[in-house]
Amino acid sequence: MRKSQLLAVPTLALGAMLMTAAPAMAHSSHGGETDGAATSDSSQSWSFQADLDPMNNSGTVGDVLIEGQGNQATVYMTVDGAAETFMDGPFPHAQHIHFGSQGICPPADADQNGDGAVNVEEGAPFYGGIGSSLTIEGDTSADSALAVERFPGGSSYTYERNLELPDDVVASMVDGTGVVVVHGVDPTVLSEEAANAQSELDDSLPLAATLPAACGTLTGSQMDGMPEGGADTGIGGGSEGSGMAMAAGGGALALGAIGAGAYFMRQRPSES
Amino acid sequence: MEASEPVSFSAPAIDAGSDLLHLGLRENDTLEVPPGAPGSPASWYTGSPTPGEVGPAVLLGHVDDSAGQPGVFAALPQLAEGDEITVEREDGSTAVFSVTKAEQYGKNDFPTLEVYGNTDAAELRLITCDGYNQETGEYEDNYVVYATLAE
Repeated sequence: MRKSQLLAVPTLALGAMLMTAAPAMAHSSHGGETDGAATSDSSQSWSFQADLDPMNNSGTVGDVLIEGQGNQATVYMTVDGAAETFMDGPFPHAQHIHFGSQGICPPADADQNGDGAVNVEEGAPFYGGIGSSLTIEGDTSADSALAVERFPGGSSYTYERNLELPDDVVASMVDGTGVVVVHGVDPTVLSEEAANAQSELDDSLPLAATLPAACGTLTGSQMDGMPEGGADTGIGGGSEGSGMAMAAGGGALALGAIGAGAYFMRQRPSES
Repeated sequence: MEASEPVSFSAPAIDAGSDLLHLGLRENDTLEVPPGAPGSPASWYTGSPTPGEVGPAVLLGHVDDSAGQPGVFAALPQLAEGDEITVEREDGSTAVFSVTKAEQYGKNDFPTLEVYGNTDAAELRLITCDGYNQETGEYEDNYVVYATLAE
């Protein structure tokens, strides 16, 4: 399932796609000074997100936030309701950014072979081929599509990783054809035929291990800068009453800082 | 509604209202909050859509002030589903929202995309603090009111 003609995004078109999409990447419509000044250079920061909805009766749901600048990205995911165990270990969940096709999640009637499940090949005309593999460590290319030992596992997990996304994957998110797919379905929710089948991708794996379990199309964030956590909107002992007194004029400064600092400083806040 | 920056808000059901500061993010990407002095207004996060635009517009207000008195958002927990929140905007228009739900979240377990993620409609998030810990003197939770633009 490496490259196919589905994935062939014309290289020449990429620059144009990034260029025309730049205003959308800034996605600010309320008059900040970044409006209209957006460029397609590598300092352009961007943010995309997806709600993952179940496929193949999996009950698996999740959400995805991908923020970055140029090709450098940080991916945050939460996944719940996923298949729990596989051969006495955590059920591995291959997860990828698919791209290069319609940018939608396949409907149930995409099932071609009548086994009641939409497998990866049946879904590809909708969500495309694999652009990036969201592994825990090591390679993140399509080469790692089935590197089950390097994917998260279990019924519920969070995922966070810094990685480099190829130009064509970034372009796909911009043009709305980037789709995040999480794989691996509990065989007990499948038809008997599907539960006992081998994967169409790798006959050493059961079909259940590679079936799409959740899927969502990436769309540009409506927020210009995704805040970290909640807000320090309580004074309490007065310990935080000073130092954050920013009048209205201070807002503009912070707007400029979003692009610069957003990527490297990710850390879940522990302060109150 | 078209984009237009907010000037003030009003929540008649809890007799709350103020002008709105326009605040951004701190260097660590957490939200700047209004001053703690008594009488401080609430704020609009400038990185969020303007109230009335599609997306989650974020308003912040303190639960208390530096004198230990109730802050502008102290009564948020008294808001009920269907209560109105209005936002006056710079273009002279008024965005009227209707409360849909409220949630309390631990600050260390804050569901970023649920609160700040994309929405199909024009929505509003009113955020304050909750979960006061007497021993530490700190608020350990956030209280978030969700509202949607009324038709």
